[in-house]
Amino acid sequence: MSRRIAVLVFPGTNSEGETVRLLRDCGGDAHVVHWSRAATLPEYDAYVLPGGFAYEDRIRAGAIAAHDVMMDDVIVGARAGKLVFGICNGAQVLLEAGLVPGTGEIRRPTAAFTRNGPVPHFVNVFTWVKLAIEPSRCRITASLPHDALVPAWTAHGEGRLAADDAHLKEIEAGGHVAFVYAHADGATDPSAVPNQSALGVAGLVNREGNVLALMPHPERDGWTFNHPDRRRGDDMLAPSGGAVLFKSFVEAVSRS
Amino acid sequence: MSERAVAISLKIPDNAAYTALTTLQRLGIDVARVERSEILVLSFGGDDETLAKSIEADEATFNPNKHRLTILDTPAPRQGEVWIAETGRLQRYVGWRLSDAAGHPAGIATLRTACERLLCNPAIEKATYPS
Repeated sequence: MSRRIAVLVFPGTNSEGETVRLLRDCGGDAHVVHWSRAATLPEYDAYVLPGGFAYEDRIRAGAIAAHDVMMDDVIVGARAGKLVFGICNGAQVLLEAGLVPGTGEIRRPTAAFTRNGPVPHFVNVFTWVKLAIEPSRCRITASLPHDALVPAWTAHGEGRLAADDAHLKEIEAGGHVAFVYAHADGATDPSAVPNQSALGVAGLVNREGNVLALMPHPERDGWTFNHPDRRRGDDMLAPSGGAVLFKSFVEAVSRS
Repeated sequence: MSERAVAISLKIPDNAAYTALTTLQRLGIDVARVERSEILVLSFGGDDETLAKSIEADEATFNPNKHRLTILDTPAPRQGEVWIAETGRLQRYVGWRLSDAAGHPAGIATLRTACERLLCNPAIEKATYPS
């Protein structure tokens, strides 16, 4: 029996369409679950939180969604070992929920993806993110090669990782930095970081390795037509680089 | 010149404040009303009327069709109110004013709980309470 993936939609979520489509193209049995159908969430085997502006980012990005009833089930599922993947606003929700980096209590965040630096600005650029852990450290990345480079569109005003020094050290020492911003050749100097994110972080994983929060959007480089280097004559519907992370996620779900 | 504080709040229903109210209630916090305002703390040498006129003239800050301006007696949170500032941006706050069903301002303990559970992420924000 296939494992079912829920793509959660809060009021204000976007990107759920391409997220479901890419998961299906990668072999996943993915379904959109709106907030009005929250009661069905326990029936699913894995959860994806897409981007957008859940609850208009009232109070803070992700703060209200982190307390939504849908997150009650996601938190229970994550603690039971279900895979949870948050992208952009979904990543912000996971930090506000305390699921990643997971070094504090649930719903008592110790870090945030907050306003980009050095001055607040919205970034919408094509970027590369580099796997910064052993692939098997995170179940969702387990099928990726070492030092995998994944193309992803960075599209946010609040994607800079911020935490106090003690928590940043905990994040680094605990192996929670799953992805960092990189250049196309894999170099990871500060000029690759579009938002002054601490430690150059693009994505964080929890201690258990089943919850991943990633700020850039790999689903927006899911097909060739999304990719900036596409050329006339290319198969525009062929999978592009961002699909490899979704494929790895789907494979992890099927193993779970 | 003296330090002054003004609160800019919505005349129209504040959906963000209502969302905060329902979420705080869901968390079991005893609160019946939440008011939200933008708090500006600034150095100013004139009287209240001049201060109000100068802020109301700045259309990027104040829209008379939807905003209400209150000049605070002191540059500090009022009873029942907590000011949340993003770290490194300490002259501009979001003021959350909480009261119970009888209209009494929330006490410090309630304000602290509301901040710890929802209103303030200590990784990026700092809360200032009434003295």
